[in-house]
Amino acid sequence: MTQLLIGQLLNGLIVGTLYGIIALGVTLTFGITGIVNFALGEFMMIGAYSAWYLADVVGLPYPVALLPAVAIAGLCGLAADQLLFRFTRDNLVNGLLVSIGLISIIESGALLSWTATPKEMDYVLSGTVRLAGIGLPKMRLVVFALLAAVIFLTYVGLMRTWLGRAAYAYAQNPEAARLMGVRTGLLQSGVFVYSTALAGLGGALYATLYSLEPFMGGLYVLKGVEAAILGGIGSLSGALVGGLILGVTESIGAIFLPTAFRDAYGLIFVVAILVLRPGGLFGEGR
Amino acid sequence: MSRWIAAIAVGLWLVAGGGASAQETVKLGQIEAQTGPNAIYGWMSSQGVPIAVDEINKAGGFQVGGKTYKLQLIAPDTRGDPKEATVQLKRLLEEEKVKFVFGPFLSNVFATIEPYAAQFDGKILMMGGATRIHEFLGKPGHDFLVRAWNWDVGPSGFGELMTDRVKQQGTKKIAILFQNDQGGKVIGDIYTDLFQKKGIEYQIEYFEPGTKDFSAVLAKLSAWNPDYLFPGYSDSAISDIVRQATEGNYFKRFFLVRGSLGPGLKNKDELDDYLVYVPKYFEQAEKTEPKVAKFVAAYKTFYKRDFPYDQAPLCSSACYDHVYMLVEAMKKAGTVDDVEAIRKALLSMTYDGLWKISFDAHAEQIMNFDIVHLKHGGAIEVTPVDPPR
Amino acid sequence: MIAALAAVALALVPLVVKADFVLTIFIFSFILGIAAVGFDIIFGIAGQLSMFHAASFGIAGYTTFLVMKAWALSFWLGLLPALALVVAMSVVIGSICFKFRLKAFYFAVVTLAFSELARLVVMNWTGLTNGTLGLMIMAKPVIGFGSLSRPIEGTLAWYYLTLVSLALAVVAARAVVRSWIGRACGAIRLNEDLAQTLGIDIFRYKMLAFAIANVLAALAGALFAFYTGYIDPSYLSIGQSLDIIAMVLIGGQGTVLGPVVGAFVLTGLPHLIEIGAEQRAMLIGAILIAAILLFPRGIVGSLIRLARRAV
Repeated sequence: MTQLLIGQLLNGLIVGTLYGIIALGVTLTFGITGIVNFALGEFMMIGAYSAWYLADVVGLPYPVALLPAVAIAGLCGLAADQLLFRFTRDNLVNGLLVSIGLISIIESGALLSWTATPKEMDYVLSGTVRLAGIGLPKMRLVVFALLAAVIFLTYVGLMRTWLGRAAYAYAQNPEAARLMGVRTGLLQSGVFVYSTALAGLGGALYATLYSLEPFMGGLYVLKGVEAAILGGIGSLSGALVGGLILGVTESIGAIFLPTAFRDAYGLIFVVAILVLRPGGLFGEGR
Repeated sequence: MSRWIAAIAVGLWLVAGGGASAQETVKLGQIEAQTGPNAIYGWMSSQGVPIAVDEINKAGGFQVGGKTYKLQLIAPDTRGDPKEATVQLKRLLEEEKVKFVFGPFLSNVFATIEPYAAQFDGKILMMGGATRIHEFLGKPGHDFLVRAWNWDVGPSGFGELMTDRVKQQGTKKIAILFQNDQGGKVIGDIYTDLFQKKGIEYQIEYFEPGTKDFSAVLAKLSAWNPDYLFPGYSDSAISDIVRQATEGNYFKRFFLVRGSLGPGLKNKDELDDYLVYVPKYFEQAEKTEPKVAKFVAAYKTFYKRDFPYDQAPLCSSACYDHVYMLVEAMKKAGTVDDVEAIRKALLSMTYDGLWKISFDAHAEQIMNFDIVHLKHGGAIEVTPVDPPR
Repeated sequence: MIAALAAVALALVPLVVKADFVLTIFIFSFILGIAAVGFDIIFGIAGQLSMFHAASFGIAGYTTFLVMKAWALSFWLGLLPALALVVAMSVVIGSICFKFRLKAFYFAVVTLAFSELARLVVMNWTGLTNGTLGLMIMAKPVIGFGSLSRPIEGTLAWYYLTLVSLALAVVAARAVVRSWIGRACGAIRLNEDLAQTLGIDIFRYKMLAFAIANVLAALAGALFAFYTGYIDPSYLSIGQSLDIIAMVLIGGQGTVLGPVVGAFVLTGLPHLIEIGAEQRAMLIGAILIAAILLFPRGIVGSLIRLARRAV
């Protein structure tokens, strides 16, 4: 039993980093552009299919395919920002609704291009690491390490660089930041595109572990939003922690409770947090 | 002058087919999901039927009672939406006055249109593959229903025959992992009943459709040490389940009654056994059965694209063969209108096409199928089974 | 005025149109129109994006049927507990969201969370709801009393029942919008802080709007379930909520007839243009975005604007 629990705890942490990177995208977008981009799940999907296409159809070795896949997702994000979201800055409801409309378009586009038949990318790294009777597939460990590194670097980047501090100043006090010469339009686009690239990275790594379908994004963006709320919208470290907690709860919960309720945990967390501590775990309280 | 005109007029009339055999059409309706997320379950039927209709019409139609008839296919796309299917069916039955309907394969679509369709009992025939049609067969007021797919249990049931086979090998415990949706629940009920009857111990877990990570539930199930994992029912879930089961060393032996060989092939070096029910293993049948080869070639010519080997097994439901069967039944009954007589003829015949198809006393299809056994390393052993009729 | 004319025109339609399937499209449009009118009250008037609509829609359908079956009641009596349940849920959820003055985004997410939870419960409480297999609804609503009662069967009867229901819903919605409730909600939508300083009890009015919206969705859900004769957990899916949102946006939020027009457009369009499911979803997504960015007033709103300019 202990083995089962520890094994699932570790697995939950790994799954949690996937939730975390999407949560990071959600939190960054909301904190700085004022909208919630529900379409982040679709950018994750774009990253995943791009990685699959470059690796399996074009034939590039996966490590070479990874960056272009992320770039493709980011470019799509740029297009979405310039064509659509630029007109919904700070209008939460409009931005939300536009992102929902965008979801239909991107998902249907993927269905048309690749059909609903799931695609499985050729396995990048096979083999399992065994520690004290617990087995963890090597690829999962790699994904965990990469995602955690990127999240950490983002955190450092925003806290230590000029651009990062400017972004935070802007988020706290938009008027003042503008007066101080911060190029707000560029900043908002930059953050938006960066968050879609993050989602694309999550997707490209997701493709090494699971099969791909056009609908994969919906589930992850919901989890990402839940994790972001749990950790505290606007808090970067909260995004990762929220993701990890969600991942672990789902994995451990599946052992004791019927698997059919897997999605309920995140939903209950959201409601509980908003009742007890609306700022989230790392937020500003009420 | 007027004689010439009369002669030309008569000549034209003869050329146009006037005279002894007047050209008439029999309308055939088809309601399946051709596009949309559930298209997997309707697409192949919508591909196979037009080929049969075209072949029959090109051969000059078919003769019943001295008259020649051609087929006219009206096949709206339900998109998997029960609301739209209702409207489309109304259009078919009330506007187009169609008497023969193929489909639906989707159970939720069928459940929604059933109350309406039942109003036409005695006036139409509906041949569909939906799992939920089974529970309506034989009920009073449901003579219009024919289930165009075989059933899991019963003396001809493919599930039953497969279970007997693994039982012979000494299997005692099977872990079941299904989607928590209509299909999964219905199949779950069928097999928990069946396993109990056959004396096989089972444990069953349901997962939310859309789940990608199965580690936790796989760990939970494998702790019980079963002989086989029985995942179901669509390839998207099965791919991930089989991969994670072998990766995490939870299961090496798989038993499937829905889904394809694909996920097994992808993991062939990690698993020990992958046993799957396939209506027909087309890759092999194309080489050994002339009718199948002819169908594959016809498909490629008709649509000018590759043959969908992975989808083709679903042409065992209200598809190519069934068009020919319907025509045969009409010929045998000597009528294209008397639905009851046609039904009687249909249920009493055995048709030998791509599949050997007949119907049991409850208007449920019995057909031959393949059990495909994929072994460690990729060796494939195909066992064709012709169930008792 | 225009609404009255439209109602009369619609009442006369069956005399001209005999094709059953066309009338069926109308019936579906009427029923979903009721839900859309409801959603407009919480969203178009009060300015709060609620994702709980589908849950009210589905829960009412299930409750009405189960209560009818359990206590051998008529449709209308069975409907009352369904509406009461929906109101109770609105109060609970509203209390959580509105009491803490959470931002709009949180309202959307919390209502989404509750909607999904409701769907999961309905899907897994197999003993009560038969889970994903759904329930076949054989019962029919009955009009009249005693010896004069007639069951609602067949397209024509359903056509008039749903048309009358829609008309009543529109009349009720209009009354709410014109009343002090509507004005308070409008103020809240435009500037919540200002509204509060003016002495408007934000909590109470948001709650009212939310409850009314859900009650209308509930009525629509019960009618829909009994008309199709079948209900399953997909009634409570997010997709159902999004469909209704799209109807209101396309038809024109904030207007009373806009949602009805939107319901007609979204229900009837797939039958007019034969395109694949994927193309249709893309089209609706594009129309939705266009409605938000380019035509925020929707069809009816734009028409009203043109009419005003012409005058």
